[in-house]
Amino acid sequence: MATSAPPSASVEARVEGRRPTLEELKERKARSRQRGQRTGELMTLSLGPQHPSTHGVYRAELDLDGEVIVAVRPEIGNLHRGVEKLCEHRTYHQIIPLTDRLDYLSAFAMNHGFCEAVEKLMGVEVPPRGRYIRTIAHELCRIANHIMWLGIHVMDLGTQTFFCITFRDREYILDLFEMLTGARLTHSFARIGGVAKDLPDDFDYRCRKVIDFIPKRVAEYERIIKYNRIYHKRTKGVGIFTAEDCYAWRVTGPALRAAGVARDLRKDEPYAAYDEVEFEVAVEYNADVYDRFLVRMKEIRESCKIIRQCLDRLPGGPFLARDAAHSLPLKKDVLRSAPAMIQDFYHVFHGPHAPKGEVYRAIEVPKGEMGVYIRSEGGPRPTRVRFTTPSFYHGQAVPALCEGEMIADFVAIFASVDVVLGDCDR
Amino acid sequence: MGLLDIVKKAAFVDILRGMSVTGTYFAVDKVTVEYPKEKLQPYPRFRGAQALLTDPATGDTKCVACMLCATMCPSQCIYIVGEQTPDGRSRPARFDLDLSRCVFCGFCEEVCPEAAIVMTQRYELATYDKSDFLLTKEKLLANQAWVHKELHRLEPNDRGEG
Repeated sequence: MATSAPPSASVEARVEGRRPTLEELKERKARSRQRGQRTGELMTLSLGPQHPSTHGVYRAELDLDGEVIVAVRPEIGNLHRGVEKLCEHRTYHQIIPLTDRLDYLSAFAMNHGFCEAVEKLMGVEVPPRGRYIRTIAHELCRIANHIMWLGIHVMDLGTQTFFCITFRDREYILDLFEMLTGARLTHSFARIGGVAKDLPDDFDYRCRKVIDFIPKRVAEYERIIKYNRIYHKRTKGVGIFTAEDCYAWRVTGPALRAAGVARDLRKDEPYAAYDEVEFEVAVEYNADVYDRFLVRMKEIRESCKIIRQCLDRLPGGPFLARDAAHSLPLKKDVLRSAPAMIQDFYHVFHGPHAPKGEVYRAIEVPKGEMGVYIRSEGGPRPTRVRFTTPSFYHGQAVPALCEGEMIADFVAIFASVDVVLGDCDR
Repeated sequence: MGLLDIVKKAAFVDILRGMSVTGTYFAVDKVTVEYPKEKLQPYPRFRGAQALLTDPATGDTKCVACMLCATMCPSQCIYIVGEQTPDGRSRPARFDLDLSRCVFCGFCEEVCPEAAIVMTQRYELATYDKSDFLLTKEKLLANQAWVHKELHRLEPNDRGEG
């Protein structure tokens, strides 16, 4: 069947626990992309936008030679809502609910990224309690996103039941979010200078219960998936994307860390409370779909560790900056004191005061690096907001990831870089 | 393929291991609810459909038509017309909230200086008639039935969550 090497050669070349060199990876990549019989006759196949494996409304036109993908032409924009333009007509406070809708599977991470950028622009200092609550919510978000990713990724490979198992566990995180923020999916929880509300009374107890429970569930996922022969055959040595390729295509997040680069903005450019907690950056070295799965499972465990440390060390004090020019007042102050009420009216009818200037701030969201660029001419509204979201770059790298691979591997590779189309199209 | 692999395949080892996971779930409590018969209670902070609170002292709504919620609303779904009562108070003559536009961000509740508009526990919003999505002042006042009792107490002189 194969022209040059047997299909399983790339799997056999892999030795567990040994770091392959870049040359070895390149060679494996070249070998995995030579499989299948080439006839020279091309067939064009349109995949999506309504195909369940395209995670939203991603459409790809595939040129197939037999079963081998020769060319991929991605088509995005089916979910374009003009978020960046809408931002220009809203005050900084009113943009926060819009950012929920970028990556709706990790909505808090998006709120957080935007607020970090605005705080950098305005020079607002977030009080310690606010930073810790943000860290807790962000890591809960990361767990929910990775669990959801795993369910969908494995469902793309043909396991329906596993999807239900992961969704059950994601519900526990969503319950925590409902308790903390009041919404299960679109939280709108971060505010300029902190967070909207303090932790509720029994949050500590329930959150500890969930983060004690999640690593056990991850162990069960691994029991089902990690040692499953079918899963190995579908993912090992498939979709190899070396560190060089990742740099060339700006692929970040778990896909980059699976290629052996310990790049994590939580460590490299700490924000919120990440410089005060101990955690390890999950790194794997084989750069294939299977290692991206391993990286995500490690990250869930690390997130549980971070949340536990944050709950242990949670400082007292305010959770929102007492900064009359930039952040909304607390509701209880508005009801009882005249200055707070004036502040409330000022922020609604005018908006927060931003200086003239431009900022770029990137944070590590579950899918990769998410950057926010804001240009301000002064006043309550930004002149231009630009979101550089990971899904867009991962979506554009799909041709480079998939060309030369088999058609059946397309769904596995596409899912492994974690693209959400709300995030991609904006 | 080694001999071990052939034995494994012949004895359906993988399938048996998979079924053992399935089997353990017979002994585990179910996590689902039979929804229409059995309903989940949302958490106190849940942001459902809005309600306008009544001031027990006057019997009218607490709202003074200050327009903060209508201005803050990111999807601009609130429409208010204010009026003066004969005794000099200000109140909304019209207070329309279009639920089909609402994004349930809770900013209206957050900025209200009178604690008059609150988010309730009401989450069953599906309807056969689109006009049901337009919450008029009367409907918003009727939504008080879903207000979380401890978070937004309705006694006179108490100004809500704090």
